[in-house]
Amino acid sequence: MTKKPVTVLACAAAALVLAGPLKARSGRPAAELPFPLIERFEHFGPEQGLPAWKVHCVLADKGKVWVGTTKGLAVLEGKTFNVIGPGQGLSHSVVTALAVDPATGDLWVGTLRGLNRISAGKVETFTQTSSGLPNNVVYSVAVGKDAVWVATAAGVGRRDARTGSWSLFDSTNTLMHEPWAYAVTLSPEKLYVGVWAGGIVEQDLARGTWKEYRDPDGEMELDLAPDDGPISDITSWATWEDGILWQASYSGVARYDGTRWKSYLEKKSPLVSNFVNFIAAKGRVAWICTDRGLTVTDGTSWATYKGAEGGGGTVEITRPGTPPERRRTATAMSNDFVLGASITENEVWLATSHGLTRGILARRIDQATAARKTGTQGASR
Amino acid sequence: MRIVRGFATTATAGILVAAGLCAGARWHMLKMSGRKDLTGVKSCQTCHGRPETLEELPWAKPRPHHASPGGLAVSPDGKRLYVALDDTDEVAEVDTGTRLVVRRSKVPGGPTGLALDPAGERLYVTCRSGDRVAALETATLKEVATAPVGTAPVGIAWIPSQGSGRLVVANSVSDDVTVLSATPLASLGHLTGGREPYAVAASPDGSKAMVVSRMAGLTRGDEVPAAEVTVVDPAAIRVVSRERLESGHLSEGICAVPGRPWALSPILKVRNLVPITHAAQGWVVSAGVAVCDLSKGSVVELPLDETNAYFADPSGIAVEPSGKRAFIVSAGANVVTVVDLARLSRWLETAGEDARRGAIDDLQLSPEYVVARVPTGLNPRQVALSPDGRTLWVAERLQDSVLALDTGTLQPIGRVVLGDGGGNDPIRRGERVFARASTTFQGQFSCRSCHPDGHVDGLAYDFDLDGVGRNIVDNRNLQGLAGTEPFKWTGTNPSLRVQCGPRFAKVLTRSDPFGEKDLDDLDAFIFSLPPSRTPSSGPWTDAQKRGREIFFATRTTDGREIPYGLRCSTCHRPPLYTDRLPADVGTKGPADDTGLFDTPHLLGVAASAPFLHDGRAATLEEIWTVYNPKDQHGITNTMNKIQLNDLIEYLKRL
Repeated sequence: MTKKPVTVLACAAAALVLAGPLKARSGRPAAELPFPLIERFEHFGPEQGLPAWKVHCVLADKGKVWVGTTKGLAVLEGKTFNVIGPGQGLSHSVVTALAVDPATGDLWVGTLRGLNRISAGKVETFTQTSSGLPNNVVYSVAVGKDAVWVATAAGVGRRDARTGSWSLFDSTNTLMHEPWAYAVTLSPEKLYVGVWAGGIVEQDLARGTWKEYRDPDGEMELDLAPDDGPISDITSWATWEDGILWQASYSGVARYDGTRWKSYLEKKSPLVSNFVNFIAAKGRVAWICTDRGLTVTDGTSWATYKGAEGGGGTVEITRPGTPPERRRTATAMSNDFVLGASITENEVWLATSHGLTRGILARRIDQATAARKTGTQGASR
Repeated sequence: MRIVRGFATTATAGILVAAGLCAGARWHMLKMSGRKDLTGVKSCQTCHGRPETLEELPWAKPRPHHASPGGLAVSPDGKRLYVALDDTDEVAEVDTGTRLVVRRSKVPGGPTGLALDPAGERLYVTCRSGDRVAALETATLKEVATAPVGTAPVGIAWIPSQGSGRLVVANSVSDDVTVLSATPLASLGHLTGGREPYAVAASPDGSKAMVVSRMAGLTRGDEVPAAEVTVVDPAAIRVVSRERLESGHLSEGICAVPGRPWALSPILKVRNLVPITHAAQGWVVSAGVAVCDLSKGSVVELPLDETNAYFADPSGIAVEPSGKRAFIVSAGANVVTVVDLARLSRWLETAGEDARRGAIDDLQLSPEYVVARVPTGLNPRQVALSPDGRTLWVAERLQDSVLALDTGTLQPIGRVVLGDGGGNDPIRRGERVFARASTTFQGQFSCRSCHPDGHVDGLAYDFDLDGVGRNIVDNRNLQGLAGTEPFKWTGTNPSLRVQCGPRFAKVLTRSDPFGEKDLDDLDAFIFSLPPSRTPSSGPWTDAQKRGREIFFATRTTDGREIPYGLRCSTCHRPPLYTDRLPADVGTKGPADDTGLFDTPHLLGVAASAPFLHDGRAATLEEIWTVYNPKDQHGITNTMNKIQLNDLIEYLKRL
């Protein structure tokens, strides 16, 4: 590992635009949002020890922040970044996905050339030639109770935690429209696979049966019949949390509660952009990472963070039945092209195309709304 | 492959038939082995026949069982010694005053490792073949609880932790570590270990478990192999660090040092790519002890050997409660080495970095800290100290006894006799030959040094008298060997007697060859070894069933007929999954004199990585994804990844 001390760049003033109780324009006290707002942002780049500007994924876990970049995996412990790259045994420098096994603390790292397990500093690699991994291009990793799941450019792989045996799922043995899988996410009972042009497929983990969710209108750019299913067959990401499945696409976002689908589009909701790279969920709140900023929502209340011309940024808050409220913020994300996020009780870490961002929350996330599930979802590009 | 092989087979068979197994047989044997002195070859069947059923093989038949002592544990009051007898499925309780066995209790599943709770009320036993931990009530020596763990558990330690304490178990085949609650006895989690986790001990502060792996991890090319000490926090069920024992190998014991942040683990250092004939110059295999300073994360490896005296196969280790001395048994040399830890510490403090790094290679160093060598009975493998540190108990595995040593005088004070020693059993006698290092020049190593339990050590060796770096060969598994003649990767030895005979002394042991009787016994022992265990068990999975169909397929996955010679089952023919003929599968490398290599059997193959004749394939997958570009090792390039994975799942099941 190489080490470099961190000096946090950002926000000396930490101008707390959002301090104190928010008021609606009517003068009445604003209803409290179902999620905390970000009160300030801090930035991390190569000067602070990151190996590259471009950050694909981030995962905060028990005091460590794992950061997947185009030039290796960095881990922030305290104020120091350590870098793990091919020289330390990582199978490739471009890190695309991260997930922690809650049972062992081992970190699973997806790259453009294979999967890695990092356990107490030891790096073990799994490639398509040395193991049963379906394909070296790993887009997403999720860890369940008894297996690790990966979405790759040639199908989904499942590695049994006890036997090390691999099972592969692709268009030849499931309902997957094609093998190019972008995301895997787990509920206690089900696996959801985000398929590039095949919507979402679901496996009942107990029965092994498959079910497919496709966009009923089949349109890539339009959502002709709202709330009729996945918003698009092109799934760029999928996240299950607390009973809600979130689908990201480059045509908007869909939310599925097990019964009903609900679509969110840039033109018909406060979603900042239809081009969605990633969704992190905490409780029933989704942190939606797009090409033009970060939108946070539980489906009814919204907050969107963007950079502003001349420095700083804006947050636009939308409560049910009230007009949007836009505020300037003294600090902003490193870049509005957001590729990944990891949410803890009091901060949010954001992977952007130009640096890592730490967002400090104005209040702790209510523990009661935190996840209730057995597996951990991966953070990805 | 098939053309060469088919021609050779057909031509040879024709000659043999025509010549009535006389001139033709001699010609064939001369061609294949280059030797005229082979005896005992009665027919083609000697080398190339095969049993119709596995039941015919020696390892499948009943054999005598012996009261071979394995794990030891001494009660907190020092009055009782518990001994695990894996071969008879028993745990024995010994009165330490009279040194007599007072009770035996049946514990099915190969009881191996022992750990007592601090009160001495519960004895926890790993059952190596039963894949479980049993809890025995010491008042009755009856089993009161059991819990499943990983595959082939060996070492176990009781670690003080939340509630009633926790147990940490080393699972040698599944390469993981199980953390259990002591009461109730239940698994809490499984953590990834090194390769073949073997022994467990509490850390110096008692809060962690230290697990040492017996085998070095897989390496490629000239990478230095390394075993691992895995430090586990049983309260958090997490691995907190992994200490690398560089070039360490065959580590079967580990112990903390009171008053110091040290873990001590006996090791072998094998210079496997030095031509093994250099055993005559010494220094090919060194016995040592690794000193892991857990506070610094540093490891120093120190020799136990001396310039002209070797102490092969160091195994069990115990440290006095005072932390002053360590006792290390050398299973191949039948010796207890006594190490003065204060002197060792002084040397470490004064030695420079270079001296510490190169210590294991300095055969003049051990007098700095070794203060005594005490002879023992045959094959001392495990040790335990009485709580007051006055008595050292040494399990003499291959003579069914436990030696009691007075640690003050370093004199024997008696023996616990557990069985008759098994001297009338050729298998037992053969194991003694296998385990003794006196057969090699200056006693540097035993057969067991490279074949622990008859298995592999995962290393490739430079064997023959053919120049440095020529014809490197992967260590071959001796488990499940019966019926798979001929031997060597080149298939030139028609029997074990030839394999282990005079030529063996010339190229390997550099000493007097085994005697005729020893060879007979060695045959009996090696052929009694069943195939290796693998983690795969339980009902057949769908993938294994599909893989079986692929293995026996006569058509490729795209519908073409597979030529007979390229079907998996042609060369890897059941029941042993070898036709006992050489084959060219396209793996001849620039340092190889031939591309024809013996077809290995596949029973337990998944446990014997690396693969191919020189160990170039780290995994089964690589045999086909990397080293079969021209479909010479079966037609596999038409398979998709699912089909290849299925085939491998089947192979893991064999």
